[in-house]
Amino acid sequence: MIFVTEVLTNAIRAGTAVGYVSVGEVIGQRSGVINLGAEGSMLAGALTAFALTAWTGNPWYGVMCGGISGALMSLIHAFVVITRNANQLATGLAIMFFGQGITAYFGSSYVNLQISGFEPIALPFLSDIPIIGSIFFHHDILTYLSMLMVPLVWVFLFSTKWGVILRATGERDEVVYAHGKSPNCIRYMAVVVGGFFAGVGGAQLSIAFSHSWMENITQGRGLIGVILVIFASWRPERAMLGAYLFGGSQALIVSLQGRGYNFSSFLLFMIPYILTIVVLVMVERTGWNPMPEALKKVFGRG
Amino acid sequence: MLAKRVFFNKYSIGTKITMALGICIVYGVFLYTQGANPFLIYYEMFQATFGNVYGIGEVAIKATPFILTALAVAIPARVGLISVGGEGQLACGALSSTFAAVYIFKDMPSFIGIPMLLLAGALGGALWAVVPGILKIVARVNETITTLLLNYVAFFLVGYFIYGILKSPDAYGWPFSPRFSDSLRLPTLEGTRIHIGILIAVAVAIIVWYVTMYTHLGFRMRVVGGNVKAAKHSGIIVERMQFVTLIVGGAVGGLAGIIEVSGIEGHLRPMTGVGYGYIGFLVAWMAGNHPLLIIPFAILLAAISVGGNALEMHSGLNSSIVLILMGFILIVILAIGKRGGK
Repeated sequence: MIFVTEVLTNAIRAGTAVGYVSVGEVIGQRSGVINLGAEGSMLAGALTAFALTAWTGNPWYGVMCGGISGALMSLIHAFVVITRNANQLATGLAIMFFGQGITAYFGSSYVNLQISGFEPIALPFLSDIPIIGSIFFHHDILTYLSMLMVPLVWVFLFSTKWGVILRATGERDEVVYAHGKSPNCIRYMAVVVGGFFAGVGGAQLSIAFSHSWMENITQGRGLIGVILVIFASWRPERAMLGAYLFGGSQALIVSLQGRGYNFSSFLLFMIPYILTIVVLVMVERTGWNPMPEALKKVFGRG
Repeated sequence: MLAKRVFFNKYSIGTKITMALGICIVYGVFLYTQGANPFLIYYEMFQATFGNVYGIGEVAIKATPFILTALAVAIPARVGLISVGGEGQLACGALSSTFAAVYIFKDMPSFIGIPMLLLAGALGGALWAVVPGILKIVARVNETITTLLLNYVAFFLVGYFIYGILKSPDAYGWPFSPRFSDSLRLPTLEGTRIHIGILIAVAVAIIVWYVTMYTHLGFRMRVVGGNVKAAKHSGIIVERMQFVTLIVGGAVGGLAGIIEVSGIEGHLRPMTGVGYGYIGFLVAWMAGNHPLLIIPFAILLAAISVGGNALEMHSGLNSSIVLILMGFILIVILAIGKRGGK
């Protein structure tokens, strides 16, 4: 039982950063823009947050500026793919490389620095509930925020007027246009908000999870977050679940190896990706394709 | 028709020069703010890449995998498929050929061993492409997503074997495969690191170009790529064309893997060729998927990355500064090349 709670607790700890990216990407992709540059946004957010926290001592400045720098990175993506109509996949990869370069360069003086950042807080009363308390309520503040974020994004997407407009932009933008809104303007906002989320995810990684900075700290988590959206069939709650699954596969490895089990962690790392493919095949079998229409154009004909 | 889609034909010489100058100036200002002399740095980068024989060789070495991974994207693109699987195909080609080199062809003489290794690499890449190929034609799952996902699986597969049964006992605990025997290393130009890989890559590019432009098969590929309905009505089995191009693309991607291992490193590491598949995708995009135009664009990106290493040695600036330049150039090209190469 201790083992299970340990794995589940760490699954949430390790999955939260990916969850931020993924939920943000749900918003962006619902508008019809896929942003592989989320990896770059996440890196920018992680470094900015770390640098600001180290400099000011206040991690909240770090989170805010981390989010903003993530948003700025995605603004480049938005400009190139929406205004200049460039290929979304190629642009995303270019932004990923750009983010890797810019953070590796400016981050080199922060390597080997330790900061306190956000420490886990046990929520009063809630954390005393057996098992559930220790799994869900012994985390840092950004993890709690991510748990709050999911229902908020869900409500926004599925029961507000702006949510409907956002989803319509991804499905049939001429309807949005006829309604008197600019689809491109909505796409800009969606992509930038997605980038902000990715930046906050990066911030969670550097100032609440690892408390340190290293080159390419995200190690592909941004791309994973983007892919999880497909796994999640463009729903925020499933995206977060996917992120926890991803965190869980990592936590399981750490826990098992900590108990002296000797096996290769690489096979476990594959699980989320193979699972996604299986889900895709099953979804395709039902004939129900939840991919927003505008994205289908990006991926070529089905 | 093809030429019109190619990026470079759409702009006047003036536009291109302005663009290149603009990039140089903006990046130069950035370098200046970092306390470096941009003119000196540009001079050093040029010296390190095209300034002498050694530099040209380094660029050629670096461009080799980029050409092949770009072709791995360009071949399926001919029939309208978007593959991002160069990364995984490279890894699997490297893995399968490392197995072959360590267990099967260890004591073979070069003239049998090396062709066999190349075959093993191509086979590994092709096998890796079978998965998205089958998923595409049987279950109609989008090939872009599956190839992207399988890149990660391939990366972990390489890690699994390198930390497991392929781990060399003589590597002082490092996760390396055993070294290839000397007979299985690609022949190099006397006294340099330049190996025959670049010739293979260019040859493959020319073959792909010839086949797609001047053969019946290439014509049918272009019909499928242009209009699926028309292709079906004219009796072409679209699914078979899609499957075959994915596999052939995978084989070419696998070649990049074996050439990287046998030509340069001599053993497989977990990080061998990581990122080359994505660079290949960008190269293919910039070249509008034209097999021959891929070569200069691969050389351009190779030169930037070689120049970056030189920068670190000479000016003390972190070599990642050149990734900034690469990302910046790519973004500018993407932003300016309106609807180009789609």
